[in-house]
Amino acid sequence: MASSSPSPDWSPRQWPRIFFRFFTSFKLATVVLIFMTLVTLLGTLGQVEHGLHAAKEKYFHSFWFFDKIFGIPVLLPGGLLLMILLFTNMTLGAIVKVKKRWKGVGMLISHIGMLMLLAGGFVTWAFSTDGYMALYSGMSSNRVESYREWQLEIVPLSKEGVAEKAWIYPAGYLETMMPDEQRVIHAESLPFDVVINGYAKNATPIPTAAPMAAGVTGKEIDGFKLSPQKPSKEAEQNLPGCFIEIRPRDGGAPIEAILWAGSYRFDPRENPMPFTFTVGDQLYGALLVKKSWTVPFTVRLDEFIFERHPGVSMARNYESRVTRFEEGQPEKPLEIKMNEPMRHAGYTFFQESFGPSGAQPGDDMFSQFAVANNPADQWPLYSLIVTGVGLGVHFLIMLVQFTTRSRKRFQSNPAST
Amino acid sequence: MKNLLTALTLGCLALMAGTGTLQSRELPKSALQNYVPWKEDTVHTFENLLVQHEGRVKPLYTVARFTLMQFLGRSAVSFETKDGEQHKLHYAAWFLDVLFRGEIAKDMPVFIVDDSAAVVQIGVSPKAKRDRYSYNELLAGRAKLAELGAQYAEKQDQYEKSEKDPQYELDRIEGMILTLGRNVSSFEYLLGQFGFARKGELLVNGNILPPELTELAKRLDTVEMIDKMPEMTLDQLVQTIRQQPGETEEERMFSGALRLFFFHANSARGLNFFPPQDPEKEEWTSAGDLMLAGLESKEMRPWVKTQLAGVQGLVNAKNEGEEAFHAALRSYSDAQHATAEARGEGTHSELEIHLYRGKWFSNSLVFFILAFVVMAFSWLTPASKTGKRLLFAAGVLAFIGLALNIYGITLRCLIRERPPITNLYDTVIFITGTAVLLGLILEYYTRLGVGTLVAVVSGVLGMFLSIKYEAKEATDTMGQLVAVLDTNFWLATHVTIINIGYAAALVAALIGLVYLTGRFAALFHKRENPDFYKLLTRMNYGIICFCLFFSLVGTVLGGIWANYSWGRFWGWDPKENGALMICLWTLVVLHGRFAGWIREIGIHTNSLILAIITTFSWWGVNNLGVGLHSYGFTEGVWGALYFSWGILAIFLAMGVVLWLKERGERTTRRSGAPSGKEVPA
Amino acid sequence: MTRPPVLSVSLPLALLLVSCGGEDTPGLYERSLSPSEKNFRLVESSMDRFRYSTKASEETTTESGGAAAAALVYDTPAGWTEKPGSLMRDLNFTFGPNGEGECYIARLPGAGGGLAANVNRWRSQMGASALTEEEVAALPTRPLFGQPARFVSVDGTFSPGMGSDQTFPNHRLMGLILASDAGAVFVKMTGPKDLVDQNSAAFDQFVSSLDVNTGGSGSGSN
Repeated sequence: MASSSPSPDWSPRQWPRIFFRFFTSFKLATVVLIFMTLVTLLGTLGQVEHGLHAAKEKYFHSFWFFDKIFGIPVLLPGGLLLMILLFTNMTLGAIVKVKKRWKGVGMLISHIGMLMLLAGGFVTWAFSTDGYMALYSGMSSNRVESYREWQLEIVPLSKEGVAEKAWIYPAGYLETMMPDEQRVIHAESLPFDVVINGYAKNATPIPTAAPMAAGVTGKEIDGFKLSPQKPSKEAEQNLPGCFIEIRPRDGGAPIEAILWAGSYRFDPRENPMPFTFTVGDQLYGALLVKKSWTVPFTVRLDEFIFERHPGVSMARNYESRVTRFEEGQPEKPLEIKMNEPMRHAGYTFFQESFGPSGAQPGDDMFSQFAVANNPADQWPLYSLIVTGVGLGVHFLIMLVQFTTRSRKRFQSNPAST
Repeated sequence: MKNLLTALTLGCLALMAGTGTLQSRELPKSALQNYVPWKEDTVHTFENLLVQHEGRVKPLYTVARFTLMQFLGRSAVSFETKDGEQHKLHYAAWFLDVLFRGEIAKDMPVFIVDDSAAVVQIGVSPKAKRDRYSYNELLAGRAKLAELGAQYAEKQDQYEKSEKDPQYELDRIEGMILTLGRNVSSFEYLLGQFGFARKGELLVNGNILPPELTELAKRLDTVEMIDKMPEMTLDQLVQTIRQQPGETEEERMFSGALRLFFFHANSARGLNFFPPQDPEKEEWTSAGDLMLAGLESKEMRPWVKTQLAGVQGLVNAKNEGEEAFHAALRSYSDAQHATAEARGEGTHSELEIHLYRGKWFSNSLVFFILAFVVMAFSWLTPASKTGKRLLFAAGVLAFIGLALNIYGITLRCLIRERPPITNLYDTVIFITGTAVLLGLILEYYTRLGVGTLVAVVSGVLGMFLSIKYEAKEATDTMGQLVAVLDTNFWLATHVTIINIGYAAALVAALIGLVYLTGRFAALFHKRENPDFYKLLTRMNYGIICFCLFFSLVGTVLGGIWANYSWGRFWGWDPKENGALMICLWTLVVLHGRFAGWIREIGIHTNSLILAIITTFSWWGVNNLGVGLHSYGFTEGVWGALYFSWGILAIFLAMGVVLWLKERGERTTRRSGAPSGKEVPA
Repeated sequence: MTRPPVLSVSLPLALLLVSCGGEDTPGLYERSLSPSEKNFRLVESSMDRFRYSTKASEETTTESGGAAAAALVYDTPAGWTEKPGSLMRDLNFTFGPNGEGECYIARLPGAGGGLAANVNRWRSQMGASALTEEEVAALPTRPLFGQPARFVSVDGTFSPGMGSDQTFPNHRLMGLILASDAGAVFVKMTGPKDLVDQNSAAFDQFVSSLDVNTGGSGSGSN
């Protein structure tokens, strides 16, 4: 990949030049593109084995990764590194260095478009959030839940099972825990410390009496053991579990429990089921819940319309009638359907799916919205327009040249073949 | 609901079996010996009857077509009569026999078995290794077939559920038995469609009924019977049948009649002939559904009876002779079309029959083959006037083939009221058409013969593939769309554009093949025309640029669609990645060329790699994920892909040989001349 | 234009630093809950919390309505001991050397949640997987009160639920469910596998002796 200059001059004064030439070269572009093709291929095939989410993290959101090609482990550049290289190469090579000629104007434009696309991809990767909101008709919410991230929540409970506030151990911390790791966490305002250990990204509790429990190591609590499972290929389906120990700071006996994400909710109507314990005179609950955040408005589902193709179970159309409430704004009735999302205040609500799974015609169903907040939401469109125009211009220039020349050549040299 | 009903029926039939005998009846072998074909008119009227099938109202012809394809894998049932005459029954005529002359249809060899090991396993005496069997020939193994079929279906189900755990994977023979079992069972449902209208003539499982019921069946008019029954739901009917009948003759009669009613209602499910009474409702019903609806509510009975009597009229008219039958069919069909039209359905049924009867796609293949033959002759005297004329004629023939292809695609668009591509089958005919068009355009500008060659070869391969694929899938290729795809705007833009990109990539590869073959052959002939190859390279470069434009725009459009539909522009989904790889590789070619790494040979060899990537993302990625397609299909696709990649790899190797040779020559030449980067135009 | 790459390097680094907390992490932060997060369901045991017996606990709440109990007529099989009935059980028997076998009849108004749900509730008590609608529909039938009832027989580890955490391995559950719109009748026998097996004839005898005393003539026996 060295510069093809006839007399290489490696003196330090030349370094910026060499550096510049390297990063602007077509050779770098070609090599990066070849690697990107290879990584895309590996990342596609890797999904068969690892599932989409894991493959994405390994191949595309990484600087480098190891993979076995025909049994030989190879260190390869990851998608992130390649895209950074490509971005640099394009900026310096196709925009800064390139001679500004009318013939090159199409290429210049389309490279700008591609830069926008990459930049948009980066902004999306770094700054966008996505989650979902599931509602039965009549229900309303301003809270969006993460698809995959779980956090630990401690709540002081009333006798009726109502809590006003919560202490949260965030997903970003919890999910970095190794299975054999133990963490002591506390909050000054709580009369106890919490010890977490045995965290598994995907787990299932098994009653000790069940035959399957025989093979499960680890502590038995309240008739159950926690059996770690292989993470699912669909990362959304992982249900983590862990052990917690409540250590009252007044010296009371520690309380142990297994927490499992399955105690949260599978259906928007369910209330989460915490592990309950009493410290002092206060009833507390501990549980794993989905990470969630709020949007600055509330959405109420008024009606969910679900149609199937006649006589078959395939869904033909589903759409939601909702009302949006916002402080200082009038109520706004809206429709959210396939290909027609609701965009508001930087958030976009898409009609994503419905449930519960296996619902028969006539059953009560909930509607699920994907809620995305992406500052670069519309960039791909702009980039496409720019790139398309650029390529179109260039292609036209080329076509005119090609046809006129090949006509000429054919006429001047009719005895070809 | 339907599954529940099936389960109930099985239980119920098992109950009946207690008193009946399971031995198969000896049938006279002569049912086909005296076969009299239907008149064309009768068949035409019949095939235009409407059915709602897989969520769409369509002519019976379409159902007949894909049913026979599924059973037999080909377009005609052939057999010989006593007088030595060969008969070839096509879709509609065969279906007419199944519905109205079932006794004969049971002797027609319509079930293809690829390996006789499969029939041996169910205890049927095998014929040739790969052969066709009639229903009656398979009858001896019917019980075993059902048993094994259920077993393999469960295994298959577990295979899907376990994310393709190999221990549940069906082997080849098991797969065949499963398919055969399903086909035989669909055939039985077809035979039973109008069973209620045929007094006593029980075509399927007739021997399962106890003798007294068989007698009763001959006397009982099922349609008239509806009026005399108490209102009851399906569950109640099943419960009543399960109870032991009382002692008195009357009670036994009643119980027997109920059983027969249930038997007929259950056999007549699957083909939805009857538009609903309520114009607001979308779901058409089968005769069986009607019978049960009538049983449940007295209010429905008058309407149900007229509907069923219509079919009964057809069956009776058939017994009076073909004239009367045709007239009855005619008036039934007219009435049905009028009802459907008022509902805005079935309006394109004539067009659909026109599409299939016209055989536009197989005729287009014929023209492409003709073009190929003519072109091959032109190679005998390439430089002569005759050679030029033949080449021109080949071009014209290819153009006719293209016109037929476009006509067929247009018909499909009109029938569905959709853009040209909505499923994998559509992509095959569309990409073929586009590739042919690109080839012909190239020919128009270059007049080298290569454009025609590309057009003709893509035409032949593509149309052949489309016909094979259709026969293999054997389901309606104009099916309904899932909710996400229900948008003509994105189908018309993203899907169409990206498939044009695929077509261009394949055309580039064909040009590459021509180039490499020519250059490689020239190694031994020493007769080369550098101008010709230079022009080929420019052509291919142009096509690769064209491919880039469409792939890139198509891919980004796909991302924008994804962003509009479910909120993410790019998700690294296999299909997206496939398209991305095409874009990336065209970019590799373009930038590699500027880097001085890729010259003539490089462009052509890389166009082959581009084709490998394209076929991978066109066919391969669909078969990576979890079970959208059945075992047989997946297996076949990977086989074909590896085969084609193998061939391309041979040509790639040829390219490498050429490149090494050229490099060797260049280094020896270089000693004098200053080396400069080849600056492309 | 080169800012994004720089950013993209520093961002993961920052994340890395943040997430590398020590063993003792003061990580809990406090926030108030929004209305959709406030409500929790309080459950007694891990059994409920891990969804092993949700069906059973739901049933306890719906069942208390009690059936319009018409008197039942039956023969007590030899070796069976009749125990007092309860709110949910019309008849209650034990058998076996230490009374570890149990058989009872329960009647519910309405369909009792449907046939499949009940079959699968029983199966889940035995640790067996749920059946599909079709599979349930294909279960064998036996007459109960002159009507066809579904016959269920499952082996496994018996966890009775109903507030008890105890489980009994190598047990068998044998029973009949008659579900119709008019009402549902359950006959359920549980116990160690061998014991239940020995008593299956007694079970059949008991079931066939069952009848409803319509208050009039005829039906005799204790």
